[in-house]
Amino acid sequence: MPQDTGRQFDTVSRRNFLLGTGAAGAVALAGCTQEVDDGNGDGGDDSGGGGGGDDSGGGGGSTDSDQLSGQVIIKGSSTVFPVSDTFAELFMEEHPQVNVTVDSTGSGGGFQNHFCPGESDINGASRPIKESEVEQCSSNGVEPVEFEVASDALTMAVNNDADWVDCVTPAELSQIWRDGGADMWSDVRDDWPDQEFRLFGPSSASGTYDWFSENIIGPDLRHTADHQPTEEDETIVRGIRDNAAGMGYFGYAYYASNPEQVKALEIDGGQGCTPPGLDTAKDGSYPMARPLFIYASESSLQREEVYEFMRFYLENAETDTVSEIGYVPSSAEQRDQNLAKLEEVAGR
Amino acid sequence: MAAPEGDAGIAAGTRDVSRVKGRAFEAVCLAATSAGLVAVLILLLFVAADAFRPFSADPGWGLVYFLTLVVPVLGLAGYYYLSDEPAGEVAYATAGIPVVGLLAAGAMVVLVVELITIIELFATVLAAGLALAAIALHARLRRKAALERLGVMILAPTVAIFGVPPAEVVTLLNWAAGELGAGTLVTTRVTSLRELVMMAPVLPADWILLVLSLTLPVAGGFGLLVARRRDSRRDGLAFLGGAVAVAAAGLVAGPLTGLGAEGWVIASTFTLPPLAVYVEGVLRRREGVAGLVFPVVLVGGVLLGAVLVRQLGFAAPDPWLDPAFILDVPSRTPEDAGIYPALVGSVMMMVVIVVAIFPVGVGAAIYLEEYAPSSGLAGKVVTLIEINIGNLAGVPSVVYGLLGLALFIRVVNFPTGTVIVGALAVGLLILPIVIISAQEAIRAVPDSHRQASYGMGATRWQTVRRVVLPQALPGILTGTILALGRAIGETAPLLMVGLAASVRLAPNGFFDLGAAMPRQILTWSSEFEAAFRHGVLAAGVVTLVAVLIIMNATAIVIRNKYQREA
Repeated sequence: MPQDTGRQFDTVSRRNFLLGTGAAGAVALAGCTQEVDDGNGDGGDDSGGGGGGDDSGGGGGSTDSDQLSGQVIIKGSSTVFPVSDTFAELFMEEHPQVNVTVDSTGSGGGFQNHFCPGESDINGASRPIKESEVEQCSSNGVEPVEFEVASDALTMAVNNDADWVDCVTPAELSQIWRDGGADMWSDVRDDWPDQEFRLFGPSSASGTYDWFSENIIGPDLRHTADHQPTEEDETIVRGIRDNAAGMGYFGYAYYASNPEQVKALEIDGGQGCTPPGLDTAKDGSYPMARPLFIYASESSLQREEVYEFMRFYLENAETDTVSEIGYVPSSAEQRDQNLAKLEEVAGR
Repeated sequence: MAAPEGDAGIAAGTRDVSRVKGRAFEAVCLAATSAGLVAVLILLLFVAADAFRPFSADPGWGLVYFLTLVVPVLGLAGYYYLSDEPAGEVAYATAGIPVVGLLAAGAMVVLVVELITIIELFATVLAAGLALAAIALHARLRRKAALERLGVMILAPTVAIFGVPPAEVVTLLNWAAGELGAGTLVTTRVTSLRELVMMAPVLPADWILLVLSLTLPVAGGFGLLVARRRDSRRDGLAFLGGAVAVAAAGLVAGPLTGLGAEGWVIASTFTLPPLAVYVEGVLRRREGVAGLVFPVVLVGGVLLGAVLVRQLGFAAPDPWLDPAFILDVPSRTPEDAGIYPALVGSVMMMVVIVVAIFPVGVGAAIYLEEYAPSSGLAGKVVTLIEINIGNLAGVPSVVYGLLGLALFIRVVNFPTGTVIVGALAVGLLILPIVIISAQEAIRAVPDSHRQASYGMGATRWQTVRRVVLPQALPGILTGTILALGRAIGETAPLLMVGLAASVRLAPNGFFDLGAAMPRQILTWSSEFEAAFRHGVLAAGVVTLVAVLIIMNATAIVIRNKYQREA
C-alpha cells in the first residue's frame, strides 16, 4: 500500500504528489473494502440476546424456497428414525438454512415429553396415536395430523445356533412374551430344549412394544416385564447374538442390516410359514406387517419450513429411498391421499 | 526382594526392621497403577487404530515415513536426552508452540465463523481499545481523582461496547414490560461505539479487519515483551511491524497455501509471533540452540516423505478421522459423516458454562472461605451448606439433567434442545466441583499471609484481592478446567434436556438448537451400520479426547505460569 511513500518525492510538486498518492490510495482501498451486510452481521446477536427465547422455532420461515430458513424438530419412534433422518439429510441438501433435527425417543416418549407439550413439530410413531395422547395434546393446544408413510415387517429373531426353531405362530409368541407365560423353551413345544428364555425387546416408551402387545400378545394380556428393554435396536441384536437362548424383536430395517448376526423367524399366521421381508409385508401375507406413521402438529404445519419439509417427506415416502432403508414405501395412492390431506390442513 | 525368614532370621529380625510388608505394599501399589494405565492405554490404542486405520496404508508408505520421519526424529530425541538436555527442551517447545497456536487458531475460526462475524469482532475490539485508551487518558490527566476514575472505568467500556443501557437489557426489559402489558419501557438509549462501527456502510475487507482486530493486539502483546526484554522500544516496534507484514502477506500467501487470506491471518497470528519470541530468546541466551534443528527435521521429514510416497506411488492410509470428518456434518452414509456441528455446539456450551459457572462458583468459594461466619448458629448453617455442596458433587448426572429439564425448560421456558439449556444443565453439574476445588485452593493459602496483610493495615477486601486470590488462582483455575473436562464429556443431562440425536446445522447463537460431541457419539454407537459403530464412532471419540487433552494441557500451562509469577 502506498502510505509508506517516503520523502524521495521532494522534486515532485506537492500538489502532484498529493494527487498521485490520493488516487493510488483510493484505488487500493477500494480493492480492500466490502459492503456491510446487515442480515449477516446481526443474525447471531439477535438469537443470543433475545432474552425471551419463548419461540425460537417460529422465526425465519419465508416464502422464497431458496431462502427458506427456520427449524423443524422431529422426535419419536426409533423405528421411524432412519427414515426421518434420511429425509432430513436430503431436504437439507436443497435447503441448507433449514435446521431439521431428528431424535429417537420412542413413539410414546416422543408424544408424551416433546410433541404434546408443543416442543416438537413432528413425531414418528410405529403405532397409531392413543386416545390418552390425543387428549394430552389437545389440552396443550396441539392438534396431531396423522400420515401413514411406510410399513414395516416386525421381525422376531433368535440366535443363529438355535437350530430347533424356524417358524412360530402368533399364539406361541403370545405365550412366550406375555406376563406369566412360558419360562422355558420346552414349555412352549416339547421338542424345544430345556433352556430359559433370554428376551430382548423395546422399552414401553416404544411404539413397537405397544403394537406387539396389542396385536400379538393380545389386548387383554400384559407384555412380560422379564425382558431387557432398550430404545437401541442395535442392543437387541447384540443381546440375541450373544445368548444361545436369546429371542427378541425389532423393525425389519435393523434385521436387513444385520442378516448374518441373528436368525429371523418365519411366522405362521394360518397360511403357512412366511418369512419377514419387504415383499411379504407389501402383499400382506406376513402376519406381523404394521404401518408406520408420522404425526405433524397442525399449528407447526402453518410454518413454511415445516410445510415444505412435510411435502418433501410425503412425496419421497413413495420412492426407493424407503426400501433401501429396509421398509415398504407407501403406495402412489397413499402418497396422493397424504399430500391432499397436507394441503387441506395447511390451508393451501 | 529381601525376605528375612527362617530360624536364623528370628535373631536377625530382632535387630533389623522387617521390610517385607513395605516392599509388598509397594509392589501392590505399582501393580494397581500399571493395571489401570495399561487398560486405558490398550483401550485408547484400539480406538486410535479404528480412527486412523494405519493398516489400510501400503506397507511401503509406512516404511518411507519410518525412514524419513520416525528414525531421524527418534535419533535426534535420543541425542537430546543423552547429551544435550536444554536442547531437548527447546526442541519440545519449538515443536509444541505452533501446534498449540494452530489449535488456538482453530478455536478462533469456530468462534469467528459460527458465533460472531469478523465485523462484530472488529467493532468490539475497536470499541474496547478506545475505552481502554479513554481510561488511560483519564489516568494521565487526572491522577488524583480515584473516584472519578472508577466511574470512567465502568462507564467507558459499557458505553463503547454495549451503549447505555445495553441493547440486551433493553430487549429484556421491553419484552418483560410487553408481557406485563406495560407497553415499551425504554425508548431511547445511547448507541454504542460497537454498533456505530457495525452500521458503517463500507468497511475494509475481512482480512484487513482481522489484521487490525486480531494480529495487532496479539503481536502488540508479544512486541511489548520483546521491547521489555531487549530494553528497546525500536525492537518491539520492528517485531510488531514484522508480524503485521507477515499476516498481511496472507492476501498472496493465503490462497497459495489453501488457507485463504482470512485463514492465513488467523493461523499466522497465533503461531508465528509466539514462535519468533521463543526462538529469539533461545538465540539470545545461546542455550540449547541445537534444539532448533528439531522442527526443521520434523517438517523436512514430513515433506520428504510426502514427495517420496508420491514418486513411488504408495497409497496413504484412509483414516476415519481426517480434516473432512472435523468439517463435515453428520450423515446417513458413514463415509460422509462428520462432527462439525457437534464440535461447535460443545465449544459454545463450554463458553456458556465458563461465563455462567466460573464467577458463581469462585464467588461462592470466596464467600464461604473468607467471609462466612464460622461460629454460632450462623456458623452451623454455613457448615450445613458446605456439607450439602460436598454431597451435591456426587449426585448422578442424570439427576442434574432432570433438574435442568424442570428448571430451565418447564419453569424459565427456554426452548428444548438448545445450547443454553444443555450448557446450564451441565453447568449445574460441575458447579459443586468448582466450588469445592476453589475452596481447597483458597484454604491452601497460609493464614500467616492474611495475618501479615492485616498487620500492615490492609482491609479484608484488599487482603482477599491482593494476597489470597493471586496465590489461590492457579489452584482455582486447575480445578475449574478439570471440571470443564468432565463437563464436555457429560451425556445424560443432554439427553434429558432434549439435545437431538441428529443435528446438521451448527448453532449460530446460544438459543439455537444445539448438538454436542458426547450426544453425537452416543447416536453413532446405536447406528445399525457397522462402519458407524467402529469407524465413525472411534473418530468421534478421538476428537473428544483430543479436545479434552488440549483443555487439560491449557490448565497445566496456566497453573505453571501463575505459580512462577506468584
